[in-house]
Amino acid sequence: MGFGPMMSSLLRNKTGPLLVALQIAVTLAIVINSLFIIMQRVEKMNRPTGIDVDNVIVTYVRGFGEDFDVVSSITNDIDLIKSISGVVAATVSNHVPLSGSGSGTGLRAVADETITPIGVGRFRWSEEGLDAMGIELSRGRNFYPQEVNYILPTSENGTPPSVLITQDLAESLFGEEDALGKPVYWGDMEASTVVGIIGHMHGSWVTWDKLTNVVIQPGKPAYTTNKYIIRVEPGMRDELLPVIEQKLGESNRQRVIKRVSTLEDLAARSYQQDRGTAIILSIVISLLIGLTVLVIVGLSSFHVTQRTKQIGTRRALGARRIDIIKQFMLENWLVTTAGALLGALLTFALAYWLEVSFELPRLDWRFLPAGIVTLWVMSSLAAFEPARRAASVPPAVATRSV
Amino acid sequence: MFNYNIKLALKSMRRNPIMTALMVAAIAVGIGISMTTLTVHYMMSGNPIPEKSDTLFAITLDSWNPLRPFNDDRPERGPHQVTFHDAERLIALGKAKRQTAMFESSLIIEPVNEDELPFEAGARVTNADFFSMFNVPFIYGSSWDKSADSAAEPVVVLTRELNERFYGGEDSVGERLTMQGIQFQIVGVIDNWEPTPRFYDPINGGFQDINEMFIPFTLTRALELGSNGSDWGWKSEETTTFEQWLNSESVWVQYWIELDSGSVNDRDDYVTHLNAYVGEQKKLGRFERPLNNRIFNVMEWMEYHEVVANDAKVLLGLSFLFLLVCLLSTIALLLTKFIGKTNEISLRRALGASRKVIFNQQIAEVAVIGTTGGLIGLALAGLGLQGIEYLYDAPAGLVRLDWIMMFAAIGMAITSSVIAGIYPAWRVCQIPPAAQLKTQ
Repeated sequence: MGFGPMMSSLLRNKTGPLLVALQIAVTLAIVINSLFIIMQRVEKMNRPTGIDVDNVIVTYVRGFGEDFDVVSSITNDIDLIKSISGVVAATVSNHVPLSGSGSGTGLRAVADETITPIGVGRFRWSEEGLDAMGIELSRGRNFYPQEVNYILPTSENGTPPSVLITQDLAESLFGEEDALGKPVYWGDMEASTVVGIIGHMHGSWVTWDKLTNVVIQPGKPAYTTNKYIIRVEPGMRDELLPVIEQKLGESNRQRVIKRVSTLEDLAARSYQQDRGTAIILSIVISLLIGLTVLVIVGLSSFHVTQRTKQIGTRRALGARRIDIIKQFMLENWLVTTAGALLGALLTFALAYWLEVSFELPRLDWRFLPAGIVTLWVMSSLAAFEPARRAASVPPAVATRSV
Repeated sequence: MFNYNIKLALKSMRRNPIMTALMVAAIAVGIGISMTTLTVHYMMSGNPIPEKSDTLFAITLDSWNPLRPFNDDRPERGPHQVTFHDAERLIALGKAKRQTAMFESSLIIEPVNEDELPFEAGARVTNADFFSMFNVPFIYGSSWDKSADSAAEPVVVLTRELNERFYGGEDSVGERLTMQGIQFQIVGVIDNWEPTPRFYDPINGGFQDINEMFIPFTLTRALELGSNGSDWGWKSEETTTFEQWLNSESVWVQYWIELDSGSVNDRDDYVTHLNAYVGEQKKLGRFERPLNNRIFNVMEWMEYHEVVANDAKVLLGLSFLFLLVCLLSTIALLLTKFIGKTNEISLRRALGASRKVIFNQQIAEVAVIGTTGGLIGLALAGLGLQGIEYLYDAPAGLVRLDWIMMFAAIGMAITSSVIAGIYPAWRVCQIPPAAQLKTQ
């Protein structure tokens, strides 16, 4: 028993179940593709940065006026910041990693202008830079204090003798070979020597495919806007942020404090688009799943009410409660499975469209079986209560006129 | 008849409140989500200056490295900004009806009173033509004279916001502001002007707040103004003095022209002028790449910079699929519900109601459901857009439902629900009169 009455009721009214199957199919396609996009974005936002993001404060200041001396201003500011208890290290930097604003250039392993250079993000900071960012040097050495000079806009370009580079950049430039101690060549074919290798760090532009290619030059940039990177003891960031802002503001009235913010906020801003998309898609699929579940519950309940007489008759003829539950659950399962099969096709069609039109990564096929299993469970849960209600129809109903 | 249909519809809706609520909810969330993404897309892809978008052009000159193109992935493209000295010379040549060069900078406004704090304000460094080219509206005063451009006079045009801050919204024309130690004379205050997207500078973000003031491009030298926007360079050059930097091959200035018309003829004419200029420069040993000078009108320039984010398109596509699911739900629910009304319909048919009457009555019910769902959906879309502004930290009011979008939402809700209702209504009409009554 089982299939007889179920198939006959499904076939008697084909359009209803067909519509539900179609709805399930489109739902599956949207949910799986959206979940895949969400996972991609979450993964992207959670990539290790190599930086102690949680404990870094960034400050942008700009001096003005005839007698403003940028070098002494920076020197005094850094001394002042380091005198605040709880501050671990501080440096002035040309740019702030993860902030979306940066400097890029090209490097080569050999002095040959015809070779396409490797794209890199470039930072310039003092011997305290690594400590101020909480970046680990995996091999070699940090800058010596005597290698670090103030760089004014009017300074000679002066190629730095030593630089630090990331492991990823080392591999792009030198492959298997050890980069430590080797020269790297800038656009003007001048060379700097790699004195240290950073295991891993992110540069300025989080959407750039060469985000982990970073070169660091020694120096204290003394440009119009001075950017200070400050690392504090764990847990003290929010307490120290207003203190730093206030002390800097009071110490020198010839400067505008443009912004004091946490590196976490700056990085979050860089990932705004990804986070926004992930949140919107999460809302969309929650609403979608909620709607589809409610529709299944609503339609099943309605069918139960419609078929009270049929159920009563079957019960009167000897069908047990469990048989009635089975009938409704199986009916629901058949519709769901038909929807899932069509949905599998739609899922791949949608994934193909997203991949081709919008350069999104290819859908991981393993999302599909996982999605179908979840669908089975959810639609069974949705159909269970109406089925149970159907089973409670007393056999005596058959004798009554509805 | 119409009122009677609506009355019957409301009665029928009340009989099955859960089904009715589900249908209204389905249409409401479907419309809410799709209108939210549609509005975002509509705003991003809108024409920010429809009256002139065909006659305004951004130009690109390929002054890049002879060894490799500006963009390896799109080798046909030159750099999307020009060098400072090319901009200066093109303005001097003045071959278009109007022309403007510009970049984004910032200046410190020094306090008038001791107790005020100095304040950094963004500035667009440009020339007098900027205002007439882009139809910038003024509340007080006007643009500066062209003579101020040639004499590099320290004049400034403020935005409404900055004028509120410093002069409480009063007419400030003729007042003076001290910036970088120099007294600037205020010549005009512009009204709220927020072209969306910010077409004249998509390079530094198409959807950001507007700059706070405007000063002449010719002041760049005297004030040694640096660009806050992006700059690209390819050549190793000595740039220790500001003059060397201005004469370098770095590209950091945006250049726009206005032509009499957007005709192919006028466009070609102007490109011919550009080619002639570049030809002269080639004789001096610059522009070593093949001749590649192009002009792009406003919408072409938006396309070039892919102002509409891919994510916005993906969300739009997915939310319309979502609307499809909502419609499928509605059809399924309607069908089930109408079948439940078989007895009633049979009776009405037996009492003389024609098929047409029955059909109209079902459609009226669907239209009532659609309108209710559409109105709730509109409220949801309003909420959704506020959420988007919050998520993307957008200036308040950047994305909002205008009248067009509101009518579109309601229209879409009614149309789609009526389409959803046609098949179920037709099915109901097939019920033979009194046939159903017999089985009782």
